[in-house]
Amino acid sequence: MSARVTARERPADNPFASHRIERLVYRADGTSLVGLFERLEEIGGRGVIVGPKGSGKSTLLEELASALPGKQVVVQLDGSCPRPWQQTKHRLPTPVTARHTVFIDGGERLGVVAWKRLLRTTRAAAYLVATMHRPGRLPTLIECRPDLAVLSDLVSELAPTEAQALEPHLGQLFHRHGGNIRSCLRELYDVYAGRSNFQF
Amino acid sequence: MLTLHTSGGGTWFKPGGLLEGRATWHLDEDAEAIEIRLFWYTAGKGTQDVGIVRSIRVDMPERSGHRDFSFLVPEGPYSFSGKLVTLAWAVELIALPGGETERLDLQIGPQPVEVDLR
Repeated sequence: MSARVTARERPADNPFASHRIERLVYRADGTSLVGLFERLEEIGGRGVIVGPKGSGKSTLLEELASALPGKQVVVQLDGSCPRPWQQTKHRLPTPVTARHTVFIDGGERLGVVAWKRLLRTTRAAAYLVATMHRPGRLPTLIECRPDLAVLSDLVSELAPTEAQALEPHLGQLFHRHGGNIRSCLRELYDVYAGRSNFQF
Repeated sequence: MLTLHTSGGGTWFKPGGLLEGRATWHLDEDAEAIEIRLFWYTAGKGTQDVGIVRSIRVDMPERSGHRDFSFLVPEGPYSFSGKLVTLAWAVELIALPGGETERLDLQIGPQPVEVDLR
């Protein structure tokens, strides 16, 4: 408990540390934020970002939240939340008005009844955008698809000096994690920290 | 432009000691306030956590100015790195709302290096 921790070993200096991953911007596959705004207007200001886990839905939602006008209300529902509607209701202002823009991250955690309550409660909001694993509850704003090229691009940004060595392994990594890019990056954290069999 | 300096230029401070320094700013636009914050944060594999321990606020500052600061360094937590997380300390100067920031990383603990918990 005395030696200096080297730069490569410090969790804070790991290029795949969570605070660095959270700063990544969404790779929008040719769709600009302006294009998304236009699409959101077309579909009546209410829409869902659809995609599997780790495909960038939350990242895109955050970018939209920082760019859309109005008073932002962001509700994050993760698996640890036992009563998602109660949590949602607690976060929503009373009343929700046209000045508010509501973002629900993890909308699939709301059951059918809770979802109807959400729509009723937020009907006056300027915009309502939620992330979902499947389409259908609202018009689809955009579908996020896992892409190996995106993983490769993100790895190059996070760890430019290691990217070349990692590149041949990324396909296997991507496949093993079922296209969940966030999960791939978490394994790369362990690789970089020397805590994984997958070395480079 | 924002700058932060500690008196004497050191970045290691013992728990219970005094952290003194000067914050200087030259802003392009008017700010509602300037804040100097002593805080810790975690970084690593998990969710990031932050704790602001002390802060000094200067409301409606001139566009150019400075403020000497003095913080009593808390008894803990020490700066450390484990297998999954680093806890680091810093003092930050921020122009509000949501403007420029400047950060000076610190070591807080009995020794001038962070504790290795691996």
